[in-house]
Amino acid sequence: MSVVREFTKGLYKQNPVFKQALGLCPTLAVSNSVESALGMGVAVTFVLLCSNSIISLIHKIVPAKIRIPIYIVVIATFVTIVDLSMAGFLPALHKTLGIFVPLIVVNCIILGRAEAFAGKNGIGLSIVDGLGMGIGFTIALLLLGTLREFMGNGSFMGIPVMNPGFEPVLIMILPPGAFLTIGFVLGFFNWLENKRAK
Amino acid sequence: MDKKYFVSSSPHIYAQDSIPKIMYTVILTLVPAAIGSIYFFGLRALWIIAIAAVSAVATEALLQIMMKRPVTVYDGSAILTGILLAYNVAPSVPLWLPAVGSFFAIAVGKMVFGGLGHNPMNPALLGRAFLLASWPTHMTIFSAAVPKGGTVSGIDAITTATPLNVLKAAQEVLRHPQNFSPAQKMEASEAIGQLYDSLRELFIGRIGGCIGETSTLLLLIGAAFLMYKRYIGWKIPFTYVGTVALLSWIFGGADGLFSGNPIFHVLSGGLILGAFYMATDMVTTPITFAGRVYFGVGCGVITVVIRQFGGYPEGVSYSILLMNLLTPLLDRWTRPRVFGGKKTG
Amino acid sequence: MKELCKLGGLLMLITTIAASALAGIYNVTKPRIEAQKALQLERALTIALPSAPREAIFPVQDEDVILYYVGYKTPEKKELIGYAFVSHGSGYSSVIETMVGVDTLGNILGMKVLNQVETPGLGTKVEEIRHGDDAPWFTQQFIARPAGQVAVDKDGGDIQSITGATISSRALTKSVVAAYEKLLADKAKPN
Repeated sequence: MSVVREFTKGLYKQNPVFKQALGLCPTLAVSNSVESALGMGVAVTFVLLCSNSIISLIHKIVPAKIRIPIYIVVIATFVTIVDLSMAGFLPALHKTLGIFVPLIVVNCIILGRAEAFAGKNGIGLSIVDGLGMGIGFTIALLLLGTLREFMGNGSFMGIPVMNPGFEPVLIMILPPGAFLTIGFVLGFFNWLENKRAK
Repeated sequence: MDKKYFVSSSPHIYAQDSIPKIMYTVILTLVPAAIGSIYFFGLRALWIIAIAAVSAVATEALLQIMMKRPVTVYDGSAILTGILLAYNVAPSVPLWLPAVGSFFAIAVGKMVFGGLGHNPMNPALLGRAFLLASWPTHMTIFSAAVPKGGTVSGIDAITTATPLNVLKAAQEVLRHPQNFSPAQKMEASEAIGQLYDSLRELFIGRIGGCIGETSTLLLLIGAAFLMYKRYIGWKIPFTYVGTVALLSWIFGGADGLFSGNPIFHVLSGGLILGAFYMATDMVTTPITFAGRVYFGVGCGVITVVIRQFGGYPEGVSYSILLMNLLTPLLDRWTRPRVFGGKKTG
Repeated sequence: MKELCKLGGLLMLITTIAASALAGIYNVTKPRIEAQKALQLERALTIALPSAPREAIFPVQDEDVILYYVGYKTPEKKELIGYAFVSHGSGYSSVIETMVGVDTLGNILGMKVLNQVETPGLGTKVEEIRHGDDAPWFTQQFIARPAGQVAVDKDGGDIQSITGATISSRALTKSVVAAYEKLLADKAKPN
């Protein structure tokens, strides 16, 4: 049972973006289209999965004093792997995501999961946790990306879905649109939570 | 509220003017400018003003009902926001634009923060900033905005740009003469000369621009009444306009320092509307004497920086928004010392 | 002291493993990344000089810096078609890089924007391909015009600037003129 729980907690109950407000920098920066949101989400999920499994394997031999540098080295290694393979195989996506791929290293979700979960649990649960959190992060990015691309560009995955007369709300795909959208989305989830608590 | 048992901290002097009275007076003083804009730009201006105001009121009422708050749309503040927003768009915009702008101004600029008195920024200007970022093509094209008996630019040959646009383009030519032909340079300096000769048109408002910003004369009539009633102070508008005049004189000319035309810069664009009606908003501006002076000077500096060195020809709305955000800091910084108390930083 | 050595040693061990893993990945991906870059350049060159086959376009270098490319009809350097060069112009929020091809008289044969990070929805329209077209309409306007004299309509030229993005349009147009003048200067230099 606990396997299912560890997986599903990341999707909604402890969603890294909506509930823990972690990793907001990439969330704000690359959610201006569904395509880049998906690319970022998959990249983060991959890094999270790999770093969680390695860290859960080595945490017993890692002394507490130097665990942070070691965790960061592990994370940075996987991020560089993602960066290089993306440049080689998906150059267009790599160009759109730009600096935000290397910046996954400092995404607090990844170090946060390493510290809070993988450093204390076995490999099986850590993989499940990483997968759940990564998918939760991807869902959050996709939600923002869908809203912003729809409003700011009138399209979904680059395919126009509005009639040609629609004049898109350009601000939504510009940086202020990211803040507006995440503000309202977080407000909505808090409202939902309050309502449920009553 | 039962005012008999009104308990509050000092000061205890109580103004008799209620919010609705102030708001409706301000709206009344904006009527001359509205009539002027209808005269200059035609009935379309009236439509835009009406749509913006109705949309603002409807948004506020709707949100207050949705959030189960007392409905306070009768206090006039939403109408005022709508009118000021309408004054900040070009007369040629499609009619849905002011409606969307008012919705954003009220919903995001005001209600999200808790309604009147809690908004950190001027909602009308926030609405304008939203419109400018979202539909820049509608917001920056004044080609259809030829006022009755005048031209958009004040120059007979050029009708497609506002005076500040023409000035900016002409200055660009004169500042980088190596990139342009002699004929273009001649044209540019002629354009600047003609602009400086059209000050009377600028003062009356027979010039292109946003609906309510063009007529300095009509705006000043309203503002004078507000000052007489002491609804707006003199510190912010005067320091604001003064700073713009001084800095435009120093940096505004194409022939080096001290060659600018301060009167042209004061009369063109949205400076008068902004200085007297938006930079004096009670909620979003400082309350202390020194704070207001700093506020006005700050607005002036940012306006001139944007006009002279920025990407946009006009910077009034952004300068006020930026200074709005500094208001809490200015208030804290300039808090008067308690009499006899220790001097603190 | 003993602990310090132990911790340092462990850290070194981990970083060594990480470094070797990365070295392996780098070696695997390096040819792919370079192939992608070359492919991009190749595509841009075929757009800039459409009538020259890829094997007949040669870079002209000054030490390691590529100054411009020369295109011929055949790989044996027969029948000069024209030149291709990269122009750089400071736009609204980025440097717009464009590959431009010209014939021997300086008339533009083809253009392709290589890099730009302009405002989405406005300045990015320099690369916009309208529905039904197969090339970006903005750069298509340049074709057959003299590269030394192109100018946007706001500056009295014939290039229709993008609505709401005059700065990007003007930057790209001016960069073409400047880069063409540089090409003439480079060509005059003895190699």
